[in-house]
Amino acid sequence: MAPTYNIAMVSDFFFPQPGGVESHIYQLSSKLRDRGHKVIIITHAYKGRTGVRYLTNGLKVYHVPFFVLYRSASFPTVFSFFPIFRNIVIRERINIVHGHASLSSLCHEAILHARTMGLRTVYTDHSLFGFADAASIFANKLLKFSLSDVDHVICVSHTCKENTVLRASLDPLMVSVIPNAVVAENFKPLDYNEPLPRSFAPHHPPPARPLGPHDMITIVVISRLFYNKGTDLLTAAIPRILQNHPHTRFIIAGDGPKAIDLEQMIEQNVLQDRVEMLGPIRHEEVRDVMVRGHIYLHPSLTEAFGTVIVEAASCGLYVVCTQVGGIPEVLPSHMTVFAKPEEDDLVAATGRAIAALRANKVRTELFHEQVKSMYSWTNVAMRTERVYNGISGAISEAEFYGYDAASGAGSWSATRGRSGVQSFALIDRLKRYYGCGIWAGKLFCLCVIVDYLIFLALELWFPRDKIDICPDWPRKERKVDGNDAG
Amino acid sequence: MAPPSGLHQSAIPSDSETPFPPLVRSSTVPASIRSHRADPSHLSPEDAYAPFSPTRRFGSFDSGGGNGSGTESRSGRIRHKDTSRSRNRRRKRFQKLLWVKQSYPDNYTDQATFLENLQRNPRVRPYDFWPLVADSTVIVQHVCSVIIFVVCFVGIFQERVSPVSVVGWSSFATFVGWLLWDWWVTKESPVGLGDEDARARMIRDGRASREYRPPRRQDSLGLDQQMLNASTVSISSASNFPSAASSTSNLLLQDHPPTHQLQRPSHQPGGGSGTSNSGLLVPGHAHSRSVSSVASQASTANSPTTTAPIITRHGSDGPDHNSHASSDPAPAPPPPNGRAYVRLSTIKSAILIYFTLLGLSPILKSLTRSTSSDSIWAMSFWLLAINVFFFDYSGSSSSKRMPVASLSTNAALMASTVLASRLPSTGQVFSLTLFSIEVFGLFPVFRQHARHRSWRYHVALTVLLVLGAGGGVGMILGDERGWPWKKGVLGMVVGCLIAALAMGGCSWWLIGLQKYKNEIYGPWDPARPIIISRRHWDDE
Repeated sequence: MAPTYNIAMVSDFFFPQPGGVESHIYQLSSKLRDRGHKVIIITHAYKGRTGVRYLTNGLKVYHVPFFVLYRSASFPTVFSFFPIFRNIVIRERINIVHGHASLSSLCHEAILHARTMGLRTVYTDHSLFGFADAASIFANKLLKFSLSDVDHVICVSHTCKENTVLRASLDPLMVSVIPNAVVAENFKPLDYNEPLPRSFAPHHPPPARPLGPHDMITIVVISRLFYNKGTDLLTAAIPRILQNHPHTRFIIAGDGPKAIDLEQMIEQNVLQDRVEMLGPIRHEEVRDVMVRGHIYLHPSLTEAFGTVIVEAASCGLYVVCTQVGGIPEVLPSHMTVFAKPEEDDLVAATGRAIAALRANKVRTELFHEQVKSMYSWTNVAMRTERVYNGISGAISEAEFYGYDAASGAGSWSATRGRSGVQSFALIDRLKRYYGCGIWAGKLFCLCVIVDYLIFLALELWFPRDKIDICPDWPRKERKVDGNDAG
Repeated sequence: MAPPSGLHQSAIPSDSETPFPPLVRSSTVPASIRSHRADPSHLSPEDAYAPFSPTRRFGSFDSGGGNGSGTESRSGRIRHKDTSRSRNRRRKRFQKLLWVKQSYPDNYTDQATFLENLQRNPRVRPYDFWPLVADSTVIVQHVCSVIIFVVCFVGIFQERVSPVSVVGWSSFATFVGWLLWDWWVTKESPVGLGDEDARARMIRDGRASREYRPPRRQDSLGLDQQMLNASTVSISSASNFPSAASSTSNLLLQDHPPTHQLQRPSHQPGGGSGTSNSGLLVPGHAHSRSVSSVASQASTANSPTTTAPIITRHGSDGPDHNSHASSDPAPAPPPPNGRAYVRLSTIKSAILIYFTLLGLSPILKSLTRSTSSDSIWAMSFWLLAINVFFFDYSGSSSSKRMPVASLSTNAALMASTVLASRLPSTGQVFSLTLFSIEVFGLFPVFRQHARHRSWRYHVALTVLLVLGAGGGVGMILGDERGWPWKKGVLGMVVGCLIAALAMGGCSWWLIGLQKYKNEIYGPWDPARPIIISRRHWDDE
């Protein structure tokens, strides 16, 4: 019988705010619940959403109130989260604290406090950071602080893993790569037997498949229109693509500061009838927009994973994307055409994709099933569970980290978080923090000591036995699955 | 991701039949170091935490796969429990892909592909010692001229030096420098296209500027502005004499600290800076004589010189005095007797400035009477420090001028103004202000020109300045009653020693610091898009 855990997901980013991290947390949590674990989510209070909420599937969300004001200033609140966090953790009998997103101060603080309280911690990194600019240097130092004493780190792609290992000076063996996933049922290709979704205006016929030589090819772009999403590239490439290929049109969904550039480009080149700008759309509508096209164009300049291209492939679109960040790892080559982040190459790659579609060489109708077998949240939850097992000692250290534990047991390693070896003793934790830098190391040690003192004070003022234990939502029976390779 | 590059394949032992020795730390860790450190731009996983983890042991695991291939041994490093699995894995190599069902655990770290795209210090250009020392002479020159100014002030303040002699000698030196400069320009001008009128016409219709200017700037500015840039840059050297003074005096008239522009058309009191378009004047403006505006006089004087220096710029491969002057009217129709006219008008504006300063000196004298001397010393120290730190040492003809270069000149002139206001007599005030204009306004232009002109002049000037500064400091610090020259010589020796030590030491230090340089680039950095239609803008 595999053990089950009480897990607290902590992140600043959660529903009702839309976004990739938010849906990741929600999907992962609900799949972990399906596997018999208890999961709660701790986030800060959003406008009109405070206190404790239950989501579908008995998912309990704590909206911690006082973070709205101080959200941007993370340092002054290093310790102020501790009392309420301790209360929640004790009430819910949490074993594992799982933080998400590197820009979330809530997550970093929770990891620090959880270690002080003697809990196992996991951190998931969703983003890529450089090393050059001042903001990144600060963020990286902060990350180093909070990850000095984490038990395990999960990254969404191999590039992200390399980045995180370098940023936080981690042992690569304590960093797992577990990708995002998509809910394939929500991204089905167009079923021609069904009535068309509302998004099809009467004058836009559904995309023709198989394509004739003169059928219209529709290229879809769904992205927030920011600089780092490559909107400049898109603006430069669209007129050239439309000029080179007569029977093509664009559908662009999304909003952002660069939208004005796109509109200007459309007016300058008189492309109003060939480029349709939909403006901001909701996540539920993404599929309905995607199925109107043949090709999905993703000109992003940096991307840790790129869930949207998986969604597009799942909808049966041929994907043209820039070869940046973790994108090359995401989809097999028969679903994608890669371009360098250059205007010329993007135009050429789109041309290749159009030619391949016209020649009917690409079996886009098979993409959905293939993507479905590649990415599923159940799989993600299973792999995350293995991480939980590893850090809590349910699977042996040797199996988890891959070498003989006996030889490593006698020694102490400053950076290696390891079940059985990584101790919660304050002095061992201080040793880990001390290595963070000449000045930073001492500062971090100071923070940890203060944190520990606060913990002792809290134990004195609010004794554990005075805190009510809240009743659990009835747990699900653990599903029996044969392929639980661990 | 892409399959491992050739380099990494070579890192994996090719003959899989070679019996692999039992893996202990000494055989595993150096394996990565041996293979990856061959290329310093690649990190191995150990690099990420090597300084912090002294021990990292891999026991005698992999007993089953001990005689497998190197690849397998590496994978065995992670999963070694059952040999059947590792045999199965021989076919499936680790791939950096997310969509593949890997037969490796999620935290597996492949030594061959991990961090394979990491680049360290890809754009670092190592420094050489002697070029660095040579470049530092520019800074030494400027610091020395600031020291000389301070020494002169102290001398005047303590009444050990006659202000008349200071300003007399410096004015004489400025005059000689101007003659020298003028001679250089005259000597260079025939290199160009012969007739000055023809040249001026070519400049005016823009084709000349296209020829003479680096091509990359052409798209950035309007044609007129290009022309202006080309001309103003040179003009600043041509006529800084009057213009610097004029701007200062102009500012003094307005009774607020100088706002830098050595040269400024009178109708733009706000004054653009740099190579901005502040000089877009109608050609006729150059001749408009406004008695109240000194600057317009200066610009009038300047405009005819437009023609010659643009050739200078071309001939000596962009000497570009990059000076603080910027704006100038579009090239006026060259007067019939070009150079003589220029000289005449330069002298004329110099005299004008001279008398303006003379008239202003009584006002300046009592400017800061209500302020205590301590505040003035502190203030002038900081202002001179700003001057030293923000001075535009580049002196090159790049379009990217330091945006704060004007701050430097302004700070220096303000420092001299507040210092001058400490002096008791009008003559002293006048002398110091004029001297400061010469030192901070005109002398840098001359230095830059000399540097571009000849390396020998530059070195000679540096040595002279160091000797002068050292000697001056020695004399000031020396006892007033004693024979000052002995102290002066001692000061020169010490000054030379300090300069040599500072130049050599700082260069050596900078080179030594390079080993700490660790720029990391990798696939996680945001890509820099290459957009054709925008290229012209982005380059600028």
